[in-house]
Amino acid sequence: MTGATLTPAVAALWLFGTFFLLMIMRVPVAFALGLACLPVLIIEPRLSPMVVFNTTFKAYNSFILLAVPFFLLTANLMNVGGITDRLVHLSRTMVGNFPGALAQINVLLSVFFAGISGSSTADAASQGKIFIEAQVKEGYDLSFSIAITAVSAVLAVIIPPSILMVVWGGVLQVSIGALYLAGVIPGLLIGLAQMATVHVYAKLRHYPTYPRATLKEFFSAAAVAVPALMTPFIIVGGILLGWFTATESAAAAVIYAAVLSLGFYREMGKKELWHALLETGKLSAIALFCVGTASVFGWLLAYFQIPKALLANVTTWGMGPIGVGFFIVGVFLVVGCFLDAIPAIIIVGTVLQPLAASVNMHPVSFAIISIVALAFGLVTPPYGLCLMISCSIAKVPLRYALKDTMIMLVPMLLVLFAMIIWPQIPLLLPELIRPDFLK
Amino acid sequence: MRKFIDAYYRLLNVLLGLSVGLLIVPVTLQMISRFTALIPAWIWTEEMARFLFIWMVMLGAMIGVRDGTHFDVDVLPVLKPRANRILRIVSMVFILIFALVFVWYGIKFVQFGWSQTSELADLPMAWIFVAWPLTGLTWLLFGGERLLADIRYVIHGPGPGDDAPARDLGTGSVV
Repeated sequence: MTGATLTPAVAALWLFGTFFLLMIMRVPVAFALGLACLPVLIIEPRLSPMVVFNTTFKAYNSFILLAVPFFLLTANLMNVGGITDRLVHLSRTMVGNFPGALAQINVLLSVFFAGISGSSTADAASQGKIFIEAQVKEGYDLSFSIAITAVSAVLAVIIPPSILMVVWGGVLQVSIGALYLAGVIPGLLIGLAQMATVHVYAKLRHYPTYPRATLKEFFSAAAVAVPALMTPFIIVGGILLGWFTATESAAAAVIYAAVLSLGFYREMGKKELWHALLETGKLSAIALFCVGTASVFGWLLAYFQIPKALLANVTTWGMGPIGVGFFIVGVFLVVGCFLDAIPAIIIVGTVLQPLAASVNMHPVSFAIISIVALAFGLVTPPYGLCLMISCSIAKVPLRYALKDTMIMLVPMLLVLFAMIIWPQIPLLLPELIRPDFLK
Repeated sequence: MRKFIDAYYRLLNVLLGLSVGLLIVPVTLQMISRFTALIPAWIWTEEMARFLFIWMVMLGAMIGVRDGTHFDVDVLPVLKPRANRILRIVSMVFILIFALVFVWYGIKFVQFGWSQTSELADLPMAWIFVAWPLTGLTWLLFGGERLLADIRYVIHGPGPGDDAPARDLGTGSVV
């Protein structure tokens, strides 16, 4: 079709070989991806490095990706607005009487926070500071405390809103509204699996508990926290009702968060507002810059028809939808160990898309199992960002909490496997609420 | 020189913060125009949002090189401080190569867009495309500064400003 001079195999060798070599030398991923494209662009007579510019421009010139800074800004505004303390208080009235109370609060807070922010690393950083020290003081093992903080943080990208879902929807042309709905049940199930794990740990190791909160305490805590907990309903609801596009709903959430923090919780001043804006800009720009260079890399993969060549072998195995599901999850789990989730979506997601389509896997269920697998990659070494952040807050090396993290991953993996075997788990909510989103 | 770089860095920070704040405006206008009759449904709001967004990404990408926050993957074992610095020099050289590509081809990119205007608001595209060569130049400046500091460290050992950690952790990913 393209009449490219390089064969898919040679082009793939250049692209991936250069990329991995640069990555080992600690060249930042965004730059390694861009640089890895250069040899091929120069060798191939029909291409030139101008492709880098056209493709990055196209990637950034996207109304959908605007949602990424908006989500981060919402979370930052809520954070400086003092919402975290209120949510901790609410969680305590709900699960404080369970064994391992503080760890249960840690998980429940992650579920709440997941509905407000779409960023797991933000969750790991803010909760690590609150919980790790407090749990150790109450007699929890340090490695357990680090591990539960890290694994519960991954919920942020599974429960809507989620930055990964926005990127996936934008790059692979899937309805973001459908992805949001599809993420709810898997996210809650994984949260429950984590709470069950904490329960078993707490029973075996006799972790402490708090006295049961009265119903009155619960309601007064809920009353203060409810305005903040409305955020996911604004974001998802606005889309479901057809009022907003995904980007507009994210902007609406920013305005809502600003009004809450300035007007209702009143803990934010001008200085905090500026800080939130700047931090949002720095973090989202770095991640989004990588979307651009990853897009160039992905464009070249498609140009040389490398996905087809890579999958030529796999399609001859004759796997059914479940087999393909496990294969996709396996690939994303391995890739997630080494690569940030956003470039992984752009590069690996596009490579695997034809495979998923070949067994009639629903694009939404393909997206959700992949996103969940990538989310698990946030706690697997060597590049498990949430685990790295939790460990660095506790000032211990990554190995220290590895065993407990792997134990906690087992029930989470079982939920993921169930989602592969029964695609209805993610698809149930969108089918019930907006079946037209699934078409 | 140091003072100049500091001032330029602060300017970029201000521009970045402003661009994030301003991003909200066109999207909000778009929503207001849909639900109320207060303002007409301007067609340029979406384009303005996208162009601001492009500048936000490029500004942040510039600043990230001075902050050292572009995320990298650490697959190597823990290295001694000196070896760490040498590796940082190597990786910075590659960043600077990419910066040169951005400057060289970026200028061509701007020339290519010189006569184009945007689809909706009729803005000259050169205003947008110029972000690429400017990013390259800024990387050369910020990256060169870090490179020199690391070379000085490797030759002379730690100096007064070198107490910062060799690797920054936990930043660089929004996921």
